[in-house]
Amino acid sequence: MDPTIKDFEAAIAELETIVKKLEDGDLALEKSLELYERGVQLSRFCHTRLEEAEKRIEILNERGDLRPAGQIFSKDDK
Amino acid sequence: MSSQFDLFGAPEPEPEPEKEPEREPVRSVSPVARERQRVVLSVSDLTANIRGILENAYSEVWIEAEISNCRLWNTGHLYFTLKDPGAQIKAVMFKSDVRSLKFKPEDGLHVIVRGRISVYEPKGEYQIVCERMEPHGLGALQLAFDQLKRRLQAEGLFDEARKRALPSLPRKIGIVTSLDGAAIRDIIKVLGRRYPNAHIVIRPARVQGDGAAAEVARAIRDVVKVAGIDVVIVGRGGGSVEDLWAFNDEGVARAIAASPVPIISAVGHEVDFTIADFAADVRAPTPSAAAEIVVARKEDFCNHIERLSHRLTGAVRGSVARLESRVHLLNRRPGFAGWSARLAMRGRHCAETTHALRHAAGASVHRRLRAFQTLRLQLEQYDLRRRLGGVRARLVSVDGKIREAAMLRHHAAGARLQNSAARLDSLSPLAVLGRGYAVVWDESRTRVVRRSSEVKPGDGVRVTLSEGELTCEVVKTDGSDN
Repeated sequence: MDPTIKDFEAAIAELETIVKKLEDGDLALEKSLELYERGVQLSRFCHTRLEEAEKRIEILNERGDLRPAGQIFSKDDK
Repeated sequence: MSSQFDLFGAPEPEPEPEKEPEREPVRSVSPVARERQRVVLSVSDLTANIRGILENAYSEVWIEAEISNCRLWNTGHLYFTLKDPGAQIKAVMFKSDVRSLKFKPEDGLHVIVRGRISVYEPKGEYQIVCERMEPHGLGALQLAFDQLKRRLQAEGLFDEARKRALPSLPRKIGIVTSLDGAAIRDIIKVLGRRYPNAHIVIRPARVQGDGAAAEVARAIRDVVKVAGIDVVIVGRGGGSVEDLWAFNDEGVARAIAASPVPIISAVGHEVDFTIADFAADVRAPTPSAAAEIVVARKEDFCNHIERLSHRLTGAVRGSVARLESRVHLLNRRPGFAGWSARLAMRGRHCAETTHALRHAAGASVHRRLRAFQTLRLQLEQYDLRRRLGGVRARLVSVDGKIREAAMLRHHAAGARLQNSAARLDSLSPLAVLGRGYAVVWDESRTRVVRRSSEVKPGDGVRVTLSEGELTCEVVKTDGSDN
């Protein structure tokens, strides 16, 4: 994704700083919009990351192989 | 088993009285039969006899005593002394039995041992060979637990400073537990309900019975190596103290402490802490609770993002609104308000210029035509026959040029006129009139009156309004420059 965003922690921290700056006011319109744009980018990054993972259950065996575990649990979970 | 040994426990005090009578016969017999029945034994024979007697009489004994001089030799055998305030006995426990001990024997420990008496002939020493040992008072497991806890604590393995923070958004969750237990189902149920797109990697391990601790420790080491795992839940459902014992293992504690990712322990009951709980970064009372902790991190993260996004939009709206109100204020300032008046002035100037231009263009053409006609009259007065050829040619040429020039002028004037008209339209003087301005003309409506000095009281003036016109009379004029 965006190479300027390292990870969640970094994204959140930057977003917090931006929001604080905007809330403090006294910025030129252009600067505010620039910050806003970056803020939207960051919050979108976080949202995307939240949504992008898909449900997966895997089993790691002793040899270090990963296998889907779906059927093991679906059959007797009901 | 213990009842069986209790039977043997009864004769236990007897060996002591036996010793004393043993000495008396020696003294009482000796004066009588010292010479006659002299049987000379070697030390080895005697010792062998003693050994036979002791080992027969004390093949199974239970002793309660305190341990001292306890030493574990390289051979794996444990040597120590068992004592009470009145006596002591040397003791040994062989390697195979030492291995089955759940706790570590140490000096000062009060124990109950089961063993047999044996004699070490080369030194003429008797000792008890212990086969079983248990702590007196506390259970063996409890003691082992306390010992391990104390040791790892002293080593700093449980220090708060070592604890890692859970990730703000756990995405790939490792789980070490048995596939057959309730724990895995509980965890998956909670995650499935509240964190549907979680990615789970299970590393199965037996969580009770022989070898379970080693399996759990290895499973922890394996699962933390899977790329992207950012938190691991290690645990099992509730059970007896013995059932949970794998989680009181030093190897498990060390695997947890060595993990590069945070570990949540989730072992059995709410109340009992295991060694794994102390070593873990976060202790959850049950497997479900461990899953809840992971979910809560995710939900906190979502809420936090949500709040920040709202604040972001709110903040930028606020700052745009502030700027907008500043623009409004500036708009109302007099410097800015004069702008439309200045525009109207320019419009009028433009109209006048256009008018003058039209006049000038017309006059110029007229002038040239008149000059041409004069020239023509003059020409007619000359001898036309003599000059006719040249003159005619020049005449034609001049005529053409003049026409051309006149046409050009005309066109240029027309173009400028159009241009001006367009500008005029865009400046829309009528619109100015629409806002209440009026144009004042002289009586013949040929000139715009710009200065009061251009008219006198009594003169008629005409006033063009946005709609219609007025004919007025000047009553009074004031100074032109005021």
